Amino acid sequence: MKVGLFIPCYVDAVYPEVGVATYKLLKHLGIDVTYPEKQTCCGQPMANAGFEKQAIPLAEKFEEKFKDFDYVVAPSVSCTAFVKINYPRLIDHECVTAKKCMDVVEFLHDVVKVDRRLGTFPHKVSLHNSCHGVRELGLSSPSEQHVAPFNKIKDLLQLVDGIDVVEPKRHDECCGFGGMFSIEETAVSAQMGRDKVERHMQTGAEYITGPDCSCLMHMAGVAHKQGLDIKFKHVVEILAAGL
Amino acid sequence: MASKEDILKKYRANVREKFDMPDLSDIAAITYADPLLQFMNMVKSVGGNAIEVEKGRDINELIKELYPDAQEIASNLPEITIATRNPDEVGRARDLNGTDVGVIRGCFGVAENGCVWIPQQMKEKAVCFISENLIILLDKTQIVNNMHEAYRRLSTHDAKSGIDQFDEYGYGTFISGPSKTADIAQVLVMGAQAARSATVLLL
Amino acid sequence: MSTQHSKAAKQFLKNQTYAHWHDATFWAVRTKRDNMAYGLDEWEQLREKASAIKRHTITHLDEYLDQFATNAEKNGVEVHWAKDADEFNEIVYGILKNHNVKKMVKSKSMLTEECEMNPYLEARGIEVVETDLGERIIQLKGQKPSHIVMPAIHLNHDDVGELFEEKGISKEKGNHDPTYLTYRARLSLRNEFLTADAGMTGANFGIAETGDIVVCTNEGNADMSTSCPKLHIAAIGLEKVIPNYECLAVFQRMLCRAGTGQPTTTYTSHFRKARPTAHHMHIILVDNGRSEWIANPEHWESLKCIRCGSCMNTCPVYRRSGGYSYSYFIPGPIGINLGMLRDRQAHSGNVSACTLCLSCQTVCPVKVNLGDQIYLWRQQLDDFGTANPEKKMMCRGMSMLYGSPGLYNFGTGLAHWANLIPSPIMNCGLNPWAEGHDMMKFPKKPFHELIKELKD
Repeated sequence: MKVGLFIPCYVDAVYPEVGVATYKLLKHLGIDVTYPEKQTCCGQPMANAGFEKQAIPLAEKFEEKFKDFDYVVAPSVSCTAFVKINYPRLIDHECVTAKKCMDVVEFLHDVVKVDRRLGTFPHKVSLHNSCHGVRELGLSSPSEQHVAPFNKIKDLLQLVDGIDVVEPKRHDECCGFGGMFSIEETAVSAQMGRDKVERHMQTGAEYITGPDCSCLMHMAGVAHKQGLDIKFKHVVEILAAGL
Repeated sequence: MASKEDILKKYRANVREKFDMPDLSDIAAITYADPLLQFMNMVKSVGGNAIEVEKGRDINELIKELYPDAQEIASNLPEITIATRNPDEVGRARDLNGTDVGVIRGCFGVAENGCVWIPQQMKEKAVCFISENLIILLDKTQIVNNMHEAYRRLSTHDAKSGIDQFDEYGYGTFISGPSKTADIAQVLVMGAQAARSATVLLL
Repeated sequence: MSTQHSKAAKQFLKNQTYAHWHDATFWAVRTKRDNMAYGLDEWEQLREKASAIKRHTITHLDEYLDQFATNAEKNGVEVHWAKDADEFNEIVYGILKNHNVKKMVKSKSMLTEECEMNPYLEARGIEVVETDLGERIIQLKGQKPSHIVMPAIHLNHDDVGELFEEKGISKEKGNHDPTYLTYRARLSLRNEFLTADAGMTGANFGIAETGDIVVCTNEGNADMSTSCPKLHIAAIGLEKVIPNYECLAVFQRMLCRAGTGQPTTTYTSHFRKARPTAHHMHIILVDNGRSEWIANPEHWESLKCIRCGSCMNTCPVYRRSGGYSYSYFIPGPIGINLGMLRDRQAHSGNVSACTLCLSCQTVCPVKVNLGDQIYLWRQQLDDFGTANPEKKMMCRGMSMLYGSPGLYNFGTGLAHWANLIPSPIMNCGLNPWAEGHDMMKFPKKPFHELIKELKD
């Protein structure tokens, strides 16, 4: 099984440690993982802003770069969802990479089916269920639906030594990032961010964790602006902690 | 009418893909071990009263007990001898205003939501809404589980269910509890524009 | 880079106490809906059936409309067809004039709001009295609804108390208790019901098989509006017609559970013909764009909507900005979509009032793909000429950057210099991110450089 590692633009530029943790974790699990060079972006920022056609050349490049892997794994639910749902619509020929693209949580839970101890992280963490993960990738049961409850992120986090995982009230309400939304609807976006951080902090957790850095980046930004003492880590950093 | 043909023609021309009617026979709708109990609980939960009346109890006495201060009682039911007004005989619907208690008959109840099906069986249906307090007489053996069963019952045009039908007056309603509103600051208040209390007497 | 919505929302959020109350209130309604959904094992099955019934019905709507009208006419009802809002208003006025109507009471109808019927009739000397308490309150205040089910939610009990005192509806000055105010409104509206010459209702559903108009209320105001006045006019949008009672059961069970978290409305009333002591009943079927929307390959599914309001209750943006922030009279996710169908030029600004969280389409009882559609509307704004020029420029810039790995690597290599930009400059007002966020720290080395070290 050959896995291609897809590191989205903002993970590459702002949160490289998340990319490092993903790489290290996959290697630790004995997976044949390659990071193809010259990656840039999946095109989601432009598409969500209304210019999805600009994602087409990026989709073609992505297809070219990743088509020979068995799986394309990324530590980002929003980018993964964008590739899976929109690339087949945008490309005018068959898109094989869309079918193979998985978020790292999905991949570890459903394909690798990890069931042994992972890292060590003796802290209380509040789980942030990013919208793309819940309602597009099926990482957890949406609170809107009457379905048997499940949470793949939580399942993986429970494999970490010493960890205490909690969820905030309104456990899958949006954090308010929304890409361009955060700089266009600044007041609502910041309010949503502040409300979400407050709910996370009400759990008494030391860390807020989730499967997408854009949510974490947004919440960290509003938290630090308010001088709040709460830390942020991507799920994969916690899974790989101490490995 | 010119507009009707234009509209239908335009609509027909603009439909692109068509979809079939789904099969509705496999809806696994909720049922209850004790529909009567569920019905009574639901009536209470929506702010109404549900009273099982012992056999042989005098309905008129019971109503007087429930509403000792009632002056005007409206009903066209022959067994309601204490009625002071009859919705079949009033000159105008508005003459029923000021009714303290309206007494009407329901056909069947719905366990899932405390609804009672009430086809119009009087000249002026205002009695069902204009009365300050509403009393609904209901045969307690006539409870269905859910709205699928309720509407199935209303769809069958046989002699047995004839009593459910409302072809004569052309109006029927499901009533669940008293009228209410939360339009002022989301505070729930019983008694909006229609009955301020609703009591189902299960006979 | 602001829109009417973003500016209005900013204002809305200035009153933090009210904004928190508004958000909490609608989240509470969402929670009540959740409890209803969790209480029925068949809930997701019902959603699927409801969606499928609607897809079938609205793609065969011409047949069902014909059947509906034929059956209604067999019942002795007069059926009218209005191609647009103007024709609707003319038809209503014509009927009222023929019957010498001076005052008409009406129950809630978003369709009449869509057609702006009230001002049309009032300009021609007919008094229109809204009888849904929330609608009556905003009518007296001269305001528009801020939510399709709870139209006066933006007012608190003091606002209503003062209004009722001003209008002489309330007798005890300073008594702003909702129970008291509701009772005073009851007395006032009771008088209106008794003295009105006509009653108008909307329609939650029209049943093709029987010709019934079905109206669901908690207040009983549709029933009072049709119990005393001698004339009943029912206004119904084309897409509200459904095939039969078997289908109705599905929608009746979902409408109130989804919209207000109750198992049913107090009244679910079937109107098949006029009372024996009244004049003919009239039904007016209204097109006003619906026969065009069905042709829209990406947006026809908005015609499935049953106007329950659950999408706005769950929408985190609606809850924090309120109905008046939206340019269309219907707010929230369905309002964004219907507004674009109605007038894309006027309402393009609403399309960015969304994080694409998709909660709306996950609650929608008929599975309208609300969030997916908002994404699709965004792709068309450039063609409509309503794309934001700054956004367009930013995307062009990003496109160039991401299109060239060389340029991208160069850019990411330099990013950490941004860390040195002093805070006053970052927060000077030209950087929208800095309004609510501290700036993120850019690391010295991006991942694509670190990986080289890892491999060694």
